[in-house]
Amino acid sequence: MDTERYNRQLILKGFGEVAQQKLSKAKVLVIGAGGLGCPALQYLVASGVGKIGLVDGDFVSLSNLHRQILFTTTDVGKLKVEVAAQRLSALNPEVELKIYPNFITQENALEMLAQYDFIIDGTDNFESRYLINDACVLLKRPLIFGAVSGFEGQLAIFNIEDKNGEKTNYRDLFPIQPNKGEISNCAENGVLGVLPGIIGTMMATETIKLITGIGESLVNKILNYNLLNQQFYEITITPSPARTYKLPAGKDEFLKMNYGNTLDKKHNQVLEIDIDELQNLQNQDSTLIIDVRETYEVPALNPLDYKQVPMSIFESFLNQEIEEENIILLCQHGIRSLAAAEYLHEKYGQKKNIYSLKGGIIRWKNYFTNAS
Amino acid sequence: MEIELLSFGKIAEFITVKRLMLDGISDTDGLKKHLEDKFPQLSEMKYKLAVDKRIIQENTILQNKAIIAIMPPFSGG
Repeated sequence: MDTERYNRQLILKGFGEVAQQKLSKAKVLVIGAGGLGCPALQYLVASGVGKIGLVDGDFVSLSNLHRQILFTTTDVGKLKVEVAAQRLSALNPEVELKIYPNFITQENALEMLAQYDFIIDGTDNFESRYLINDACVLLKRPLIFGAVSGFEGQLAIFNIEDKNGEKTNYRDLFPIQPNKGEISNCAENGVLGVLPGIIGTMMATETIKLITGIGESLVNKILNYNLLNQQFYEITITPSPARTYKLPAGKDEFLKMNYGNTLDKKHNQVLEIDIDELQNLQNQDSTLIIDVRETYEVPALNPLDYKQVPMSIFESFLNQEIEEENIILLCQHGIRSLAAAEYLHEKYGQKKNIYSLKGGIIRWKNYFTNAS
Repeated sequence: MEIELLSFGKIAEFITVKRLMLDGISDTDGLKKHLEDKFPQLSEMKYKLAVDKRIIQENTILQNKAIIAIMPPFSGG
């Protein structure tokens, strides 16, 4: 190790040689060499992290340059990870760099992530973010999460136990992946170049803190940042009640998850329906409506119209056969019902039509309180 | 009862009120319904509520002067 290179860290009180050694032994995977990934990569490489993997299948374009600061105008058209690796190894040849010139997919994720101690999500779409989250939970890897929108950013660390033994992941915040077009991304929405620079640098900061054990990490917290007024707002993330969402329990289940990038939604996904569609189906012969709320939850629905199968016993219920062709799941807010619908979808595939009531009983309270 | 509202991301574009007087609403389920009725865009998107800087996972009773954060997911990078 070149001590001159790291001199300003080595002489830093509370950091020093012990922390530097930890950095040199750490393996970090940075997914996405874009607005977040570029600054994160630069600082991690400069700080002397032992091994860094870079994942990105994209090519440099002119509209990237205002925020993806590893690239120059002459790089336009080149593979991002190749240009990045070239710049980064010039910055610090002591760091072992491994490039993956492809996008992250269900097929390649587990093998790639398993080789690293810390995972940085610098991607720009929900498909990848949910996929990475689920893979990190499955592999028990700490996930450093950063994301931006407009003038605001979010920063969080997932999958690390706090001192109370609690551990959270992205699905404790947003259990269900937003539909395409529901939340816009940078390409549609625009972003000021410095914003991913700030958030990406903070992602590198949190990674260095986790590796070296200094300071207080953002474990079970999400930090919201607004550059317009330079305000930070920190929120504590609490774990969801059990089985609010579905996480793959093993490799096979992970490969079967639907992150929406490959499968045709119309035929392969649970459909979220509104109250009119529920009413239409309710009037059809072969329809079963299942309320997956626990028995103590209110308002109680007429058990003749709504079969009650609480989430807590749903697994044993899955062993029974359902005769009806249309199955509608509902709960208080439409979150648990979607998880239940996915379990049923896994069992029946396209053999049955499986629906979840979007927004749940609360959204359509008038309908349920008048009808029952 | 009066609560303080903090909206983030796209939600801040349509929920611009910072304070809200609540009549007959005592919990977060009631508040969600109220907000979604008042701001239909909200019912079309995923979001999470925090009460006094803690994410809530279940219906939660609201106290006077509670600070409610309404946060959408961000995907940009």
